[in-house]
Amino acid sequence: MWSISDKGEREFTGGKEDWAAVAHIAENCPGFKPDDEDEMVADEAVSCYNCRYRRWTIKSFVCCK
Amino acid sequence: MKIYIGIDDTDSLEFGATGQSANELRRIIKDKGWGEPEPVTRHQLLLHPDIPYTSHNSSMCFTVEMKEDNLKEFIDCAAEFLKETSAPGSDPGLCVAVNERIKDIDELMSFGFKAKVEILNKEEAYKTAEDCGIHLSEHGGTGQGVIGALAGIGLRMTGNDGRFQGRTKLKDTGESMGIGDIIATTEIEEVQSIDGHVLTDDEILIIGDKIKTVLLDGKRKLLVYRENDGWHTCNNQHIKNY
Repeated sequence: MWSISDKGEREFTGGKEDWAAVAHIAENCPGFKPDDEDEMVADEAVSCYNCRYRRWTIKSFVCCK
Repeated sequence: MKIYIGIDDTDSLEFGATGQSANELRRIIKDKGWGEPEPVTRHQLLLHPDIPYTSHNSSMCFTVEMKEDNLKEFIDCAAEFLKETSAPGSDPGLCVAVNERIKDIDELMSFGFKAKVEILNKEEAYKTAEDCGIHLSEHGGTGQGVIGALAGIGLRMTGNDGRFQGRTKLKDTGESMGIGDIIATTEIEEVQSIDGHVLTDDEILIIGDKIKTVLLDGKRKLLVYRENDGWHTCNNQHIKNY
């Protein structure tokens, strides 16, 4: 589910369209914090894709928490 | 005269949001009596490991009709606002362009498009701003936000990039609405399917949740899709690439 980059960052391996998986992860994540409404991309309110601490990458995102 | 205002990089991982900063600037303009700002558009720029963005690398832009007499005071005020309110560790940039004085609109729009596909630097941004005769300034940190601030204006000027800030409230989810009614009662100028079909006033739309609008053909458009012989409003996932 996660790969570790050379910089030590955790990058989600499911890409940018694994809606169900990131919703499930975020529901169980104590660090989840909703991002600004304009930066939300998932329809599920609680989703890594909508989290303040995700940083988009070319293929996916890294979790900064 | 019509001016474009672009800002970028006012937030950090923990604090702030550039969209909120843009809205605060709109409120200041209104409160000072300098004009009635148009809505903010959000423009997605390149995501690349070599670009030091906070989280999403998007910039914000809006326009306003403003008198010449207020322009300098506004720029000073906006610069001070960004300096004072941007998140610690952010790299805010401000761009202000007077529409009728832009010397090279093609160069400006080209810079915007390039910022979506290439890594650009501050020197290129300042050179483009100088070539085009527009204000560009940095107000903290590395000042890297000047790139996005300038690109945001270039992209807004194309009339074919970005989505509008905030949600549009129509009826409750699941209810129906005529296209003519939507256009007559909201800021939406046109309703269009994802594949480019423009809906007519007599067609009916089934309203979904979290409605966002996009900038296409210079208009504020609501995007829809066809399912089960009916038109439905697009959700976040449908418009994530705008």
